[in-house]
Amino acid sequence: MSQGLAGYIIRRLLWTVPVIVAISILVFLLLRLGPLDPVESILGQRYTEEGADRLREKYGYDRPVHIQYLKYVQNLFQGDLGVSTRHQNFTVAEVVIPKIRVSAGMGVMAMVLVFGLGVPAGVFAALRRGTFLDPLTIGFWLLIDSVPVLISAIWAQWLFALQFGWVDLTYGGVFHPNIILPVFVMSLPGVAGVARLMRASVIQVSTEDYVRTARSKGLREQTVVVSHVVRNALLPMITVIGLALPGIFAGALFTELLFGIPGIAREALQAVLAPDFDVVLGLVLFGSILFVFANILVDVAYGFIDPRIRLSAARGS
Amino acid sequence: MQAQVPALDFEESGFRPAPRFRILRELGHKKIAMVGIVIITIFYLFGIFSPWLATHDPNQQQLVVEARYAGPSSDHWFGTDRAGRDLYSRIVYAARTTLLFTLVVIVTGSFLIGLSLGLIAGYRGGWIDTLIMRVGEVLSSIPTLFLIIAISAAFRTRISDFVFTLKEDTFLGDDARAIVPFLIIVLASLPFAWFGSARIVRSQVLAIREQEYVLAAETIGVSTARLLARHIFPGVLPIFLVGLSASMAGIAFLEVALSYLGLGVDPATQSFGTLIFEAGRVRTFQQFPHVLMFSGIPLSLFFFSWTLLGDALVDVVEPRTYRR
Amino acid sequence: MSNRTLGIMMGAVALLIVAVAVVFVLVLSGGDGDDDSGTAQPAREASERDDDTDSARETGGDDDDRDRAVSGSGICSENRLVTFGDDPATVFDPIQVGDASTAEYTAEIFGGLVTLDLDLNVVPDIAERWEITDNGRVYTFFLRDDVVFHNGRRVTADDFKYSIERAADPANFSPTVLDYLGDIVGVRDKFNGRTDEVSGVQVIDEYTLRIELDRPISYFLQQLTYTIAYVVDQEQIEQDPDGWTRQPNGTGPFRLKIFRPLEEIVLIPNDRYHLGPPRLDEVVFTLAGGSLSTRFQNDEIHIAIVPAVELAGVLSGESELAEFYRPAPQLAFFYLGMNVNEPPFDDPLVRQAFALAIDREAINEVLFFDAAIVADGIVPPTLPGYSEAITSYRYDPDRAAELLAQSRYANDMPRIILTFSGGGGDPPDNLQAYQQQWREALGVEVEIEAIEWSAYLRELRRGELQMYSTGWIADYPDPENFVGKLFASESRLNHSGYANDRVDALLDEAATLQDQEARYRLYHEAEQIIIDDAPIIPTFWTVGHYLVRECVQNWVDPGTIVPKYRYIEIDTSGE
Repeated sequence: MSQGLAGYIIRRLLWTVPVIVAISILVFLLLRLGPLDPVESILGQRYTEEGADRLREKYGYDRPVHIQYLKYVQNLFQGDLGVSTRHQNFTVAEVVIPKIRVSAGMGVMAMVLVFGLGVPAGVFAALRRGTFLDPLTIGFWLLIDSVPVLISAIWAQWLFALQFGWVDLTYGGVFHPNIILPVFVMSLPGVAGVARLMRASVIQVSTEDYVRTARSKGLREQTVVVSHVVRNALLPMITVIGLALPGIFAGALFTELLFGIPGIAREALQAVLAPDFDVVLGLVLFGSILFVFANILVDVAYGFIDPRIRLSAARGS
Repeated sequence: MQAQVPALDFEESGFRPAPRFRILRELGHKKIAMVGIVIITIFYLFGIFSPWLATHDPNQQQLVVEARYAGPSSDHWFGTDRAGRDLYSRIVYAARTTLLFTLVVIVTGSFLIGLSLGLIAGYRGGWIDTLIMRVGEVLSSIPTLFLIIAISAAFRTRISDFVFTLKEDTFLGDDARAIVPFLIIVLASLPFAWFGSARIVRSQVLAIREQEYVLAAETIGVSTARLLARHIFPGVLPIFLVGLSASMAGIAFLEVALSYLGLGVDPATQSFGTLIFEAGRVRTFQQFPHVLMFSGIPLSLFFFSWTLLGDALVDVVEPRTYRR
Repeated sequence: MSNRTLGIMMGAVALLIVAVAVVFVLVLSGGDGDDDSGTAQPAREASERDDDTDSARETGGDDDDRDRAVSGSGICSENRLVTFGDDPATVFDPIQVGDASTAEYTAEIFGGLVTLDLDLNVVPDIAERWEITDNGRVYTFFLRDDVVFHNGRRVTADDFKYSIERAADPANFSPTVLDYLGDIVGVRDKFNGRTDEVSGVQVIDEYTLRIELDRPISYFLQQLTYTIAYVVDQEQIEQDPDGWTRQPNGTGPFRLKIFRPLEEIVLIPNDRYHLGPPRLDEVVFTLAGGSLSTRFQNDEIHIAIVPAVELAGVLSGESELAEFYRPAPQLAFFYLGMNVNEPPFDDPLVRQAFALAIDREAINEVLFFDAAIVADGIVPPTLPGYSEAITSYRYDPDRAAELLAQSRYANDMPRIILTFSGGGGDPPDNLQAYQQQWREALGVEVEIEAIEWSAYLRELRRGELQMYSTGWIADYPDPENFVGKLFASESRLNHSGYANDRVDALLDEAATLQDQEARYRLYHEAEQIIIDDAPIIPTFWTVGHYLVRECVQNWVDPGTIVPKYRYIEIDTSGE
């Protein structure tokens, strides 16, 4: 059985290669053949045909698309992701990596916060099953989950910065205390999901034999809950890491916009609108690789939780 | 933003043939589900009947200082915005945009494309299955929001000639101007909207196929179309609806996000995205909280209701883990 | 297989994936692990006098810095200005700059022969004085002998010759060189590859430079204030042709300390600046956006800009921010353009009717809190050469309806589309207001269309837009930059297709006239003709809306690109 799982993981990992290649071709074609033209936006009102031709030559946009793509791939293997046309002498890596660090840092903190808020809420709700506190807890977080970051960011800024004066809003780096408010806002939409899953998981674990055994042995309720129920209920929560990733990315864009944080979501937006072909490609590839790995994690985790799925999924591949 | 699908149980293969109205009946017994359904219904009714429910023309400005950011009054129930437009009417029409967008994307993306591709993939298997699932996998591995932004931005070119053709030669008439940018964002979203439901449907089909009655039907030579329609489709439907209701908020938010970024609907079309953009400044909120409150609360409630409904559906369809 | 084993495997898989992610990030970030977030600090130093930058970096760099930036008891306790900025769209290479955001920083870092003072007069910078001979065709500049680049090297006339020839070099492709320096003998030829040298720029001796023009244009000194004419360091550029703009070695009042795209730009003073060193210890531009006015209110930033949708929050009655509000007229002119070759705007009566039908005062009062200026002409009021005597069509709906009734299209109005570049910016409330007013006064339904920026520029260029909303910001403070660039029949910025012989003749005459007053009079005449013909409807001269802390001394926004931060000082006395 474990060999089946290992084989499955290896197959999945190998499969990511064609997926990433397909994505790169797709996005490359979309950018190069689509109507957005970086040369036009660089030149703006100073556009002349001659000037545009020179710039196209400079960036290689005058060559056939497949040649451009092969060139891109060739450079990619030499570790060269291209240059930003917005920041003309910055390489894509120089533009993107500081942003990735910021977003990754915030993402990890948000994830920690999501669990920090969600797990206790879920356990609490499960233990209070049957009372009004259960639906109240879950309902509360569901309601919070329903407020778009676009709105909650404004409310949070108003409340915590202006009314209470607890925090400053100036971005001061990922490890500066001012990051707390944006991370908090970003994590709010994820809490309900974790809380619900935790609640379900706790309820399921409570019915397992070993919990009943522990109870019947006369262990104190607290001990049972902490050392048996919660510990075992936490295991399936690993799937949430993968599940929550896309959500955190979606929330990241508006958090970064409204708090003025130089993260990848804002960079991606600017790059898409500029347009800045190589930066967009670099970011899409990065994001895709991340997503693909997250998906593998989720699927493997499902497989662990319910072996039947693993079999059918493995058969499907 | 979008409600997390508790996927833990979706791909669960334990299947029970569902009597046709069991789901509706059980939903009816759930108070929380009813709250969700009532709010969603009210929201959609406002969307459907917005021309009759709106008290003002949502684009009619009043360029006098007294009418700017006025608070709620008997004439303007929700007050006015910075150009003296009636906020209530703008919100009612914004509900219409949300209604149209979700409906169109759900019907085409999830229902037509997603459900049918999922059925085909699951039932036929083989290379079709592989192709569909691989394409979907590639598409769903891309950071969707940015690609949709890129596509919507790319196609914000001149559409006037097209609009006038539509206006003069089709039944759309004056609505053509609003509909074309709308179609652009719908088309940009579609490639990414179908895979979620297709995957759920496929795995459910795989499970149903192994059921004895389906195997029996196959052996006695029931036609494929009949088999799909009579046996597999009804079995797939509940889980499909669960997935649908869980993805609803995310789909609606897509339009809000695009309009917020100025890449969504036509300027004359109302949208929660533009409303929030105009009101969503801390200073504006501090001075005139009514604008963000009145536009934010209906939208949040709408999302909330879909989550409630989705939850309740999970309970009904797959009660094992979620029984209260 | 037991649960426990599976659990361990799961953990291993999770670890593996985390490890892959970490490796991925590390690989991407390259070898220099201690480089603080790729701040464009080259390992090599362009200047030996960079000691304070170095020490700042050695002591742990950014995070300390930032702590200082965002902590503390009041932002006014240090002589350090925190302001907002836009992300530069190009590099800090004077000949590549084509956008206002990059130009602002470039103007602080570099310098040229002449510069502008805060009242937009041309004043000496590196050139101490100049002589204009041969009826305005030959300029002789006498350079100061005490001007050095940031690295200490002395600036001579040869540097200027190099800089101008570099600007004209086709290999460097400067998008602006022909607009600003195209009248120098030889620049056009060199740009088109016909010659190698710019013969119009001659080095007489170490500190004397002669520039010859093809024709005696009278706004040449104004053009020289733009970044394209700034002096650059040949040695640095030849040593590091691709990377030198990261540590640009200019002659301006400030040096670039940090540039992080979308994050911040930090400038530090050039202590040897020949016109008097800056008084600030540091200028920080935050490029991050976010809620500037909230940060201002929270005492985190000295200067904030207020977007139009937020004006209400700042200017309405009970706002505690109103006392910090400082409007600053910009050298910018906004208008509605109409294609005069396409129905219905080929009939001047229709154009005039459209101009008469809009109530700009009401829009200004309600949407802009009376903080914009209704454009009664083309040349903005703060520009030298502005005339109060020029008048535009004032709101008169009855007269508008009358004119429309007399026009060719009175009973047969073709469809009208007003195009603007939508996306990201403020909602087009003012355009919808015009739309409403045209509907009410003229009974004409105008449709508004939002298209993407580069598509918009493309259509404008091709003259394919029937009606459009746009604006023009001064490149250099001379009426020619508005009246000539936008309305000369041959100008490529004349998007409405307007052609008037009389206007062309006036503009030609004014371009080379040496007597400023007489020149301005010619522009005034042309301006009034244009407005009466109404190929465009002037709408607003924009005003920048700022919030400025009271401890910021000598803050001025002259409305265009002028080196201005060296005048500013923070009053740290603690009021």
